[in-house]
Amino acid sequence: MQSSNDYNRNRYHLGLWFTAPAIIVLLIVLAYPIAASLILSFLRVRFAGQGLDFEFYGFTNYADLLKNQLFREALFRSVYFTVVEVAGVIFLALIAALMLNHPLGRHAFFRVVLLVPWALSPVANAVLWKWIYNANYGILNQAIIGLGLTQENIIWLGSPWLALNMILLADVWKAVPFIALLILAGLQNIPSYLYKAARLDGANTWQQFVHVTLPGLKTTLVISIVLQSIWALKVFDLIYVLTKGSPADSTVLLNYLSWRETFSNLDVGYGAAIANVLFVLMFMLALVYIRALRPRRIKAKDG
Amino acid sequence: MPRYLTRFFIRFGLATFTLLSLGPVIWSVVTSLLPLSALTSRPPDLNPLNITLENYSLVLDSSRGLFSGLINSFIIATFTSAVGLVVGSMAAYALARLNLPGSNKLLLMILATQMFPGIVIAIPLFLVMSRTHLVDTHFGLIAVYLSFILPIVIWILKGFFESVPMELERAAAVDGASPIQTFRYIVLPISLPPLFATGVFAFIEAWNEFFFAIILTRINVKTASIAIAEFSGQYQTLYGQMLASAVLASVPVVALAIIFRRFILEGFVEGAIKA
Amino acid sequence: MATLELVNITKKFGDFTAVENINLRVEEGEFVTLLGPSGCGKSTILNMIAGLEEVTSGEIYINGKQVNRLSPFERDVAMVFQNYALYPHMTVEENIGFSLQLRKRPKNEIQAKVRKVAAMLELERFQHRLPRELSGGQQQRVAIGRAVIREPSIFLFDEPFSNLDAALRIKTRGEIKELHQRLGVTSVFVTHDQEEALSLSDRIAVLRMGQLEQYGSPEEIYSKPATKYVARFIGTPQMDMFAGEFVNDGGLYYQVGSAKVAVSDTLQAPGVSVDIGVRAEFVTLGAKGFDATVRLVQPVGPFTYVTVAWDDGSVTARVNGVSRLKPKENIKVEINPKELLFFDRATEKRLNP
Repeated sequence: MQSSNDYNRNRYHLGLWFTAPAIIVLLIVLAYPIAASLILSFLRVRFAGQGLDFEFYGFTNYADLLKNQLFREALFRSVYFTVVEVAGVIFLALIAALMLNHPLGRHAFFRVVLLVPWALSPVANAVLWKWIYNANYGILNQAIIGLGLTQENIIWLGSPWLALNMILLADVWKAVPFIALLILAGLQNIPSYLYKAARLDGANTWQQFVHVTLPGLKTTLVISIVLQSIWALKVFDLIYVLTKGSPADSTVLLNYLSWRETFSNLDVGYGAAIANVLFVLMFMLALVYIRALRPRRIKAKDG
Repeated sequence: MPRYLTRFFIRFGLATFTLLSLGPVIWSVVTSLLPLSALTSRPPDLNPLNITLENYSLVLDSSRGLFSGLINSFIIATFTSAVGLVVGSMAAYALARLNLPGSNKLLLMILATQMFPGIVIAIPLFLVMSRTHLVDTHFGLIAVYLSFILPIVIWILKGFFESVPMELERAAAVDGASPIQTFRYIVLPISLPPLFATGVFAFIEAWNEFFFAIILTRINVKTASIAIAEFSGQYQTLYGQMLASAVLASVPVVALAIIFRRFILEGFVEGAIKA
Repeated sequence: MATLELVNITKKFGDFTAVENINLRVEEGEFVTLLGPSGCGKSTILNMIAGLEEVTSGEIYINGKQVNRLSPFERDVAMVFQNYALYPHMTVEENIGFSLQLRKRPKNEIQAKVRKVAAMLELERFQHRLPRELSGGQQQRVAIGRAVIREPSIFLFDEPFSNLDAALRIKTRGEIKELHQRLGVTSVFVTHDQEEALSLSDRIAVLRMGQLEQYGSPEEIYSKPATKYVARFIGTPQMDMFAGEFVNDGGLYYQVGSAKVAVSDTLQAPGVSVDIGVRAEFVTLGAKGFDATVRLVQPVGPFTYVTVAWDDGSVTARVNGVSRLKPKENIKVEINPKELLFFDRATEKRLNP
């Protein structure tokens, strides 16, 4: 027979009271909307007079999505954006972290340098780059003309493919610091005696990097890739400030598209459907994240 | 590779890294301090004698909305982080120490909430809030912000509370402290630094937020982010002012990040890994 | 001061049984040690006595009253933790006085009592310091002070010395013994160090994998161990055991390989197979007995432990002072037949021949 004393029972009760406020808040502003969003995507919502008119629409919204060329293009662009951004960010962040891990880079000053781009709001970041990319007076053009690389101003945000990549650049610039910090923490968790052992075994710097650093960073890198992918899919502020989707919808990504369909074109159900597609994409990435963090069973070594 | 050569490359790398990271920011600040005439001449007239604060004074003119935007952002960020800390720390302590069943699943769910696009919840929330007249109110925006701030706060603080040695709480129990007294007299005082850091982090996230802000506000609760977005649209040819507004809106958060950098760096970066 | 009684105490964590059917009684003012290796359940039992761990089945009685449902504080027990568990943000004064503060005692009463306890433990000079400014030994005294000020019915100690270095351990051991003699509070002490248990306790409960092997005074545990496990766990060096056969060859002998171990002449060969154990102080090396070769010589100050071996066994002898024996020397070994301990090979329990 289990006997429970006051102490443990009190703790349990307190635990319930303590989590209640958080659960209530999250139920209202998180759980309910997620469920509602799913339902909305199966409806056709029209603004009728003062209120809204809901009509069951089945999978029509989703079917329309797949037929819609803009959606497919936005999807493709989002995937491209994510892949290139993640690759770029991880690459640059790894280099930055390695440098900061070196005795020369251990100064607090560099940590501050990292924090500045991170702390900026995405909108401020967008404004900053809008100015740099400005065709007439922006410093990018001034620089490359000054260096003699071209004769004329390039309209960075004017041509489709170019605009998308300039947005990419702006986001990469902002994203590198956080990932660099993550990787730096991961680097510092690699015990230094592993490097000593490798050196004694005759490994040079490159070999140490491949055989000690990279394996030690595996979990960190997986986490970084997943986190950065999710953030890349969320890009919105940059598009809103820099291009608003132009030229010719070539910088419309999924998140932006969903917003536009709902709040500009007022097709709420359709917008919700796009949102849910995005949700599914991110959810799958989240699953990867959670699986990557689960403690791995120790593999038996032979010999 | 000879050591001096490695050191040279690293020095070079660090310098480049610093330049690339701070360059755009410094350029923005410089731009904000120059008059339009200096900016529109080719090449830009960087004569230090041109430095002026006119961009800032023009931008803070009340009709432009930046000043009230800063106030609104301050109110919202402060309340969001305050409420988030109170509610979140209680939940985090419960999950860390108070023997709740199913706490693992709860935790995973909380983690999962970080990983989906705001648009999913923005649409239904907007519909509900329009009907309940919560659109364009401080309260409404704060409530919605809690949807992504609370999970982060709970996640980070749970990690910290778990690192408080169990023995301390046992000693308090033997000394006669009830669970609430243990929380109030022992656990909280020890956790002041991470509590503070988490509050700062929440403040920064709330301040910088844009997406929910443009969906859920109209005129009354324009935040700083919205104000500078407007500047980049409406007054986009007033380059100096556009950047002055961005600089002004960024100064508070960048300053906070630098002042509390040690807390932030130790805190959530490890939290992301320890997960 | 109080009596403590554990009746059929069992603790399970899911499928895992950490503690099984423990029955023991501690009398008023007794100092009892729970002794065993890591994982034997001793700390679990202590936590159950304290009320920090729930009992799966069984009852705990303090002064005859069942306390299973009472919180730690209501049981009137105080505890000294392994890592001291001092509140890091409070001074020594505040740490010691915390329990009184919680009960909202008047400030001057708290101050007076804290000062008295601090004086008893030689902590007056440190009253305003924070724990991190104190040495390990001082921190431990603060932890003891925090327990003492409660004037509890029972003191509980959870391996309080494991973080101290060897010299400090022995010194603090003496202080605890003095404290107990002075205050006379019923105490339960947990440790894995058998020397500590032998020197401090009125009675020792030897635990193994959640079960009670033996509960008795230090003399009983040492000279009359109930099981093979207790015999080998207690005593330095570890008791040697032989496996052999009884042989009647002009007298009864226990044959271990080529060695003939003389047994007491009143012994009749027990009807079951046995292991025989003997303590090092009852083994004599010299010119009489069976043949063996010296394998190891270990001087430890007042004694030297000499391990000798023969074809089928080895034994360690305690020699007074310094021994001149060297490895590979031949020597004869004699074992005092009256001090042999016989253990049933199957049940591992000691037989009384």
